Amino acid sequence: MTRTTRNLDPNPHFPVRTRTTPTTKLKLWLAFALTVWVCDLFGAETLRYVAKPGGAKVTIEGTSTVHDWITEGKIIGGSFEVEPSFRTDLTLKSVQSLHGKAPPPNVEVFIPVTSLKSTVLAGREKMDEVMREAMRATENPRITYKLTSMTLKDPVPESGSPAKFNTKGQLQVAGVTNTIEMEVTMERLEGDRLKFSGKKALKMTDFKIAPPAPRLAMGFIKTGDEVTIRFEWIVGLSTAP
Amino acid sequence: MLSERDPQGFSIPSTVKLPNQTAHDSCPPEVTRREFIKDGSVAILALAGAPLTGTGNTADTNAPASGTDGATDYKGQSPPVNLGLIGCGPWGRELLKTASMLPNAPVVAVCDTYPAALKRAATLAPEAKQYENYRDLLADSKVEGVVVATPSHMHRDIVIDAIKARKHVYCEAPLAANIEDARAIAKAAKETVKVNFQAGLQNRADRQVLNLASFMRTGVLGRPIKSRQQYHKKQSWRAAAPTPERQKEVNWRLDQAISPGLVGEIGIHQIDLVNWFFMLRPTAVTGFGSLRQWRDGRTVPDNVVAIFEYPGGLFLTYEATLGSSFDGELNLFFGSDCAVMLRDRRAWMFQEIDAPQLGWEINAIKEQFYKSTGIVLAAGYSKAMPNQTAKPAEVPQDPKSPLQYALEAFVINSYNHQAAIRDFTSAYDPSDTNALKQYLDEIAKMRVPAPGWAEGYEATVAALKANQAVAGNQRITIEPAVFELG
Repeated sequence: MTRTTRNLDPNPHFPVRTRTTPTTKLKLWLAFALTVWVCDLFGAETLRYVAKPGGAKVTIEGTSTVHDWITEGKIIGGSFEVEPSFRTDLTLKSVQSLHGKAPPPNVEVFIPVTSLKSTVLAGREKMDEVMREAMRATENPRITYKLTSMTLKDPVPESGSPAKFNTKGQLQVAGVTNTIEMEVTMERLEGDRLKFSGKKALKMTDFKIAPPAPRLAMGFIKTGDEVTIRFEWIVGLSTAP
Repeated sequence: MLSERDPQGFSIPSTVKLPNQTAHDSCPPEVTRREFIKDGSVAILALAGAPLTGTGNTADTNAPASGTDGATDYKGQSPPVNLGLIGCGPWGRELLKTASMLPNAPVVAVCDTYPAALKRAATLAPEAKQYENYRDLLADSKVEGVVVATPSHMHRDIVIDAIKARKHVYCEAPLAANIEDARAIAKAAKETVKVNFQAGLQNRADRQVLNLASFMRTGVLGRPIKSRQQYHKKQSWRAAAPTPERQKEVNWRLDQAISPGLVGEIGIHQIDLVNWFFMLRPTAVTGFGSLRQWRDGRTVPDNVVAIFEYPGGLFLTYEATLGSSFDGELNLFFGSDCAVMLRDRRAWMFQEIDAPQLGWEINAIKEQFYKSTGIVLAAGYSKAMPNQTAKPAEVPQDPKSPLQYALEAFVINSYNHQAAIRDFTSAYDPSDTNALKQYLDEIAKMRVPAPGWAEGYEATVAALKANQAVAGNQRITIEPAVFELG
């Protein structure tokens, strides 16, 4: 198509340009190269660790007018994505994202509410029902966490373990999200696996959960607002793209 | 037999993990006895570390102070699991009625090949979809668990297809009418980790019997000596039907070729108690059978005796008749320190004069049986009730039937099982079946007490071997290997 045929264009206000100049070609090529480079940097070569079964543990400890209680789970899902130097530099000194010099690792974690079980020896089903109701599990089947900041707290030994981090993230429980700060410890396990552990004291009311006061055998009991959540999360290097 | 006798008598292995043996541990130390009594709840269990505690808890939490109003006043403990019923005969309809009393067991489908039975089931479950072919019911995606209550000899294909269709299965006892079928069912259930299988041995889910089981496992009998059980009922066991063909169909229990007989259909629930309480498998059984009362062309004896031999010289005599109703149903366990009687879901202990004192029996409620004094054993009843002499407390009646306990356990365990699979596969690689199995094994430790494929299979083997012995008036050795699935 040339300019002489332009008048035949059905819509003269939006002329069709099909001819590419050498300059355009160069620009396209550069754009392509840039895309590949960026993908290399932040996509394909990002290490992705995914949750692995066995060894994961989460406990929620609380109090009541009668006795302390513990709810326990063995499933923590999610993934941890970080730059490649994380794997090779065991002291983590060169890992930019853990020193505030680059966006933090991409970390998303979830815990299915139904996987949390009361450790009481008799009447577990009742306790679990109380918990499911309190956590509005039907509408919010998962506890979720998204990391927003992660910085190395102390120097890491040459062995790579333990590494301590100061973290910040968005914790969602029963559909209510709060920002929480937490110290997290990481250990390197065999088979390119990592164990993250930590604990955090939380208030049920911060998540709009009224502390349950179920009627049990000994009458009404009232649970305390404060609970402590502890976790051990196992992830392994994903071989999948 | 004598050469096998263990001079030390029987003992309960110390490694035995009782389903509810630690229930009293959950009793909070902060609550004093005074507070317990003030609260007035009969559901407070396990005072003074006594073993008589139930595992049920819904009844605990909702039982009124008197414990005798009989109301089904409890909440569902798990979200609902949609059930389908296959086999809508009298027992199937009993299951249907029981399911309708549970808040979390909606029956969404019913199936029977006989239209009149289906129609009757529909009056009990008007919302349920009706199927004439069980395969169509299994294809119904709404159905999450099935209750199989067809004649025993028809279980095999239905149960195996249900397991293949990934439906949780409640299979009535006996699992099948022959050992080969029962083994096939148990194997399929064992291999399919994603399915919750429960055998219809409802005693094993009954809080009252569970309570007794843990008491027996404390070794209270001293040295177990023997057991005697009976089922006496004057009834024909024959059902009426409009056509000769249907008569034959509904009276499958009377046909020796396919019927597990009195000992297989009824005795199984009682014999299982001995295997369970003593953790023993019979090594031989001698049977006698005769037709004394109902000479109506049937080929199945209406009068049977089976004598089981257990390792170490323990005997179980089982007697059943349809010719006399005197003394009804009875289970007796004799030991060197005491005898325990279980009948109509109530239990009593009869102590020997030289038996070691347990302590609590001083205050316990006692009932007189001819020349013997029975100490009442009951779950949901505190033995240390105050003012016992002034005003004897009433032993509470359990408001729930064994079948209610059984179906409730099935629903809760099925729900937890499928929730566990869902939770695991959402977080981890779903193709990692080994890890999934490990996780499910962990979860299984938290099951509400209920018999699985192993208990169902063992009880079926013992009962069917006894039926074989009765049919042939002979002694049959039971090889240990037959109890294994292979």
